Amino acid sequence: MSATAVKTPERRSADKSGSTKRPARTIVRLVVLILLALAFISPLIFMVATSFKTRADATGIPPTWIPNPFTVQAYESILGATGTPVVQWFANSMVAAIANSVLVVITASLAAYPLARMSFKGKNLVFGSIVATLLIPPVILIIPNYLIVGGLNWLNTLVAVIIPTAASAFGVFFMRQFFLSLPIELEEAAVLDGTNRFQIFTKIVLPLAKPAMATLALLAFLTNWNDFLWPVYVLFSPEVQTLPAGLSTLQSANAVRYDLLMAGAVIASVPVLLLFVFLQRFIIEGVSRSGVKG
Amino acid sequence: MSRIVSPIRRRAIAVAAAAAATALALTGCGAGDATPGTATEFTGEYDGPKVELSYWNGFTGGDGPFMEQLVKDFNDEHDNIAVKSNTIRWADYYQRLPAAVTAGKGPDVGVMHLDQLATNAARQVIVPVDSLADTLELTEDDFTKDVWDAGVYDGKRYGIPLDVHSLAMYYNTDHFAKAGITEAPTDKASFEDALAKLKAAGYATPFWMPALWPSHLMDLSLLWQNGGEPYSKDGSKATFDSQEGIDALTWQTTMIQDGYSPRDVAIDAQYVAFKNGETSITWDGIWQINDLKDSGLPFAAAPIPTIGDEAAVWANSHQFYLPRQAKPDENKTQAAQVFIAWMSEHSGEWAGSGMIPARKSVRESGVLDDTLQGPIADTIDTMRFLPPIPGVGTVQAETLEVAVSSAVLGKASPEVALKTEAKKATQLMEKNLKSFGG
Amino acid sequence: MSASTTDVTASTGSVAAPPSGRAASGRDRRRAAKLDHAPWTPWLFLAPYLILFIAFVILPALLGLWISFHSWDYTLPLKPFVGLDNYASLFQPDSVNYDSFWTSMRATGIFTLFSVPLLLVIPLFVALLMNAKFPGRNFFRAVYFAPYVLGVAVVGVLWRYLLDNNIGLVNYYLGMLGLPSDTAWTTSVPAAWVALIGVTVWWTLGFNAVIYLAALQDIPVELYEAAKMDGATRTQQFWNVTIPGLRPILTFVTLITLIASANMFGQSYLMTQGGPNRQTRTAIYQITETGLRNFQMGDAAAMSYVLTVFLILLSVIVFWLFRERKEKKAKV
Repeated sequence: MSATAVKTPERRSADKSGSTKRPARTIVRLVVLILLALAFISPLIFMVATSFKTRADATGIPPTWIPNPFTVQAYESILGATGTPVVQWFANSMVAAIANSVLVVITASLAAYPLARMSFKGKNLVFGSIVATLLIPPVILIIPNYLIVGGLNWLNTLVAVIIPTAASAFGVFFMRQFFLSLPIELEEAAVLDGTNRFQIFTKIVLPLAKPAMATLALLAFLTNWNDFLWPVYVLFSPEVQTLPAGLSTLQSANAVRYDLLMAGAVIASVPVLLLFVFLQRFIIEGVSRSGVKG
Repeated sequence: MSRIVSPIRRRAIAVAAAAAATALALTGCGAGDATPGTATEFTGEYDGPKVELSYWNGFTGGDGPFMEQLVKDFNDEHDNIAVKSNTIRWADYYQRLPAAVTAGKGPDVGVMHLDQLATNAARQVIVPVDSLADTLELTEDDFTKDVWDAGVYDGKRYGIPLDVHSLAMYYNTDHFAKAGITEAPTDKASFEDALAKLKAAGYATPFWMPALWPSHLMDLSLLWQNGGEPYSKDGSKATFDSQEGIDALTWQTTMIQDGYSPRDVAIDAQYVAFKNGETSITWDGIWQINDLKDSGLPFAAAPIPTIGDEAAVWANSHQFYLPRQAKPDENKTQAAQVFIAWMSEHSGEWAGSGMIPARKSVRESGVLDDTLQGPIADTIDTMRFLPPIPGVGTVQAETLEVAVSSAVLGKASPEVALKTEAKKATQLMEKNLKSFGG
Repeated sequence: MSASTTDVTASTGSVAAPPSGRAASGRDRRRAAKLDHAPWTPWLFLAPYLILFIAFVILPALLGLWISFHSWDYTLPLKPFVGLDNYASLFQPDSVNYDSFWTSMRATGIFTLFSVPLLLVIPLFVALLMNAKFPGRNFFRAVYFAPYVLGVAVVGVLWRYLLDNNIGLVNYYLGMLGLPSDTAWTTSVPAAWVALIGVTVWWTLGFNAVIYLAALQDIPVELYEAAKMDGATRTQQFWNVTIPGLRPILTFVTLITLIASANMFGQSYLMTQGGPNRQTRTAIYQITETGLRNFQMGDAAAMSYVLTVFLILLSVIVFWLFRERKEKKAKV
């Protein structure tokens, strides 16, 4: 497999030797990619299809791709069921994810600025500890945080899934990286004008940081929306559960009602898939950029 | 539906209660001095302002709809009490309940299994309900001794029994007919005879032995049948590795060795196989009755045969409890007790879920006629329950279940498996005794 | 717990390493240092983050250590100090926790051992395939990445269904292809491992591929041209230009994949429930069960620290493996 990085048209025309082979190679490439894409999309299509099947069809053999009859009974059932309030779960997830991502962006941006632009005693210690926490596996925090959250009386409330996870080391790095990439002249000019640092931050730096903040917010939103382990243990009543925790309840409550399960899964997937479809550039760029070590 | 308290007596209690409450109110006392950790005096009625009760249970299976109907009926009959059900699968339930109560966010009333009462009592998750039992006039006579005693921990009663549910033997009536078996087997000889006949009739694996649930329940039943006990009553050690236990588990493994069961039966596979008609006999809980009925399979239920020396079968019981409240709300506590009382009186309707009402008077009122679990209910005196030892549920899950699984999967001999795990179980039990201050 | 130390892929627990941004901003940093500010200004900026950080990262890390030295059941009043007993019991074959803990470590080990190489190599191939201009490339990139945004709950529930013994799609199509169609994917080993690893690859392949793709596109084309002029075949170009060019990113991808695999929880919880017989119960699953279900927090905390030590060792090894070659390259 060649890794020819074809960057510009000029470069391509400079390599004439392979031009006769290229169409064939492209076709092979496309075929492989298409097959792979099918493997990726078909489970999702089946998930959606099953959500529109009757109870019997969902567990029938052979499995069918087109529901016949096509019915929304699964959605009606789970939306109406009191023990599995999917709408409530959806709302909880939305509230938690939005609140959490806002917190992440605010705290990370505020923290990243002095780390990028100021020098002060203790800066290395702070930065160093933030780096060090990336080596701390989350597992050692689960149990003590459970106790802390319990002590704060936040158990079984949405606060437990919003606040403890809002301190994002990744967020700080991400924003710091961005601030460092801004040309410093703007800030220098403002200092000479006598504006204080906070105003420089809010009036000059932040407006420029909107794309980075948006990307970070998106990533944080995704992370919080999909968080599973923590909500499963800290949220126990259906009224406060988020979608992943609720889905797990749905699964254990309905071990053979796959039509209901798939409907629940679809409801949990739709927002993130929509976000992804429209904002994939941001998400993918954010992920790619996180890997760049410079 | 038979009521334990005749209408006249009930009205008398209500009047007396009203009078007492009035008297207390006039003397300026509260409606009940609720010291944290005990249920208040139950007066029989709830006359206070409208309350909403959160009610936790684990009825996620076929029994769920029946409980929901009962709750709905209760809500319809009581204007000032609205019960809201929160159904959590049992495995998660026993994690969430202590966590929630310790965090001050527990339910107002709930139902749990009998074998978990002691653990939760020791953790101060639930409070004694002696006064409630007294007012309901629940006495030992209305229950079997085992069920009655098992709800008492440290001298206090912690649960109001709703039902009992045991293992039963289910068999495919078509298969039996084809094999020429006319009656359900009742002992070792007739059981093994039936298996041989089924095999001869072409059913290659008539009785699947599971490695996991409910294999350890079968093991416990057989252990009791052999005259053994799984745990010492004082909670200090595990005794399921006694000779009786080894014999019990060995019999289970012979089912595989003799070819009546395939190896490596995955979880729930034996039940699914029975439902599909792939196997002829399965031992499972009476809670499966409705699911089997719905499947359309031609089957019947009978008590498990006495493979050992005496008739015995593992059973458990659903019990109502009152959780400890961080900030006791007098109205809610009263309403919760009304709820429990009502449920206890309506436990006959619960029989529709396949369970056996715990109260003798209810059972004998005819609710079990024409039910599949009726014949099982007749053997209620042979039902055995785990002793009220705090932490025994976890100990069993970590040790006995592992031992049974090992032996059935052929990974260790029954003797080695049981002895290894019993040693661990004893260690755990000693640790628990220290922690729970037994 | 997610975003405090590991973001973006918190469900798998993977870590996004910091972009260091050395390139253009070193000069700027020195200039920034000359800008005046009050001594407490930086701390005001840092305060919101630091409060959360100290409360929910530093404090619990220390509290966890403290708990691990006690017999801690938070529903009971007494929590006696037991010193290193909890740790010792994890290493004594006789003790109650020994079997279950090391079985779970073994499960984590098996999963990591098999999933990491697959998650390093397959995404690389996919990225190489996509590293060219052709119609629809962005579409493909989105399709491969899409499962990643779904989160482990949806993925777990969906695949539990697809892998069902009797009615699952996978067994049905295997049957059509003439292969055994009754594999118990979620209730028997080693099928369960194949299932868990396969699903994880499906789920996170796009993530690694995207990172590889970005890195591939950073490799200067001139290097390839120079190699071609030297007469290098495609394979030689791959080993002598592509791989060295990817080396920095390989450390990163290896680390995050390793950590994600070692922290696997959701797939096991939702698809196999740790079965059969706890063989697919991973370390994290065991720790949360011990601490939050059985309420033995002291034991669970000790287990988590032992796991952490293993993870740190692994990370050090990864760094060492990749660092050595970087130095060799610098000498050339």
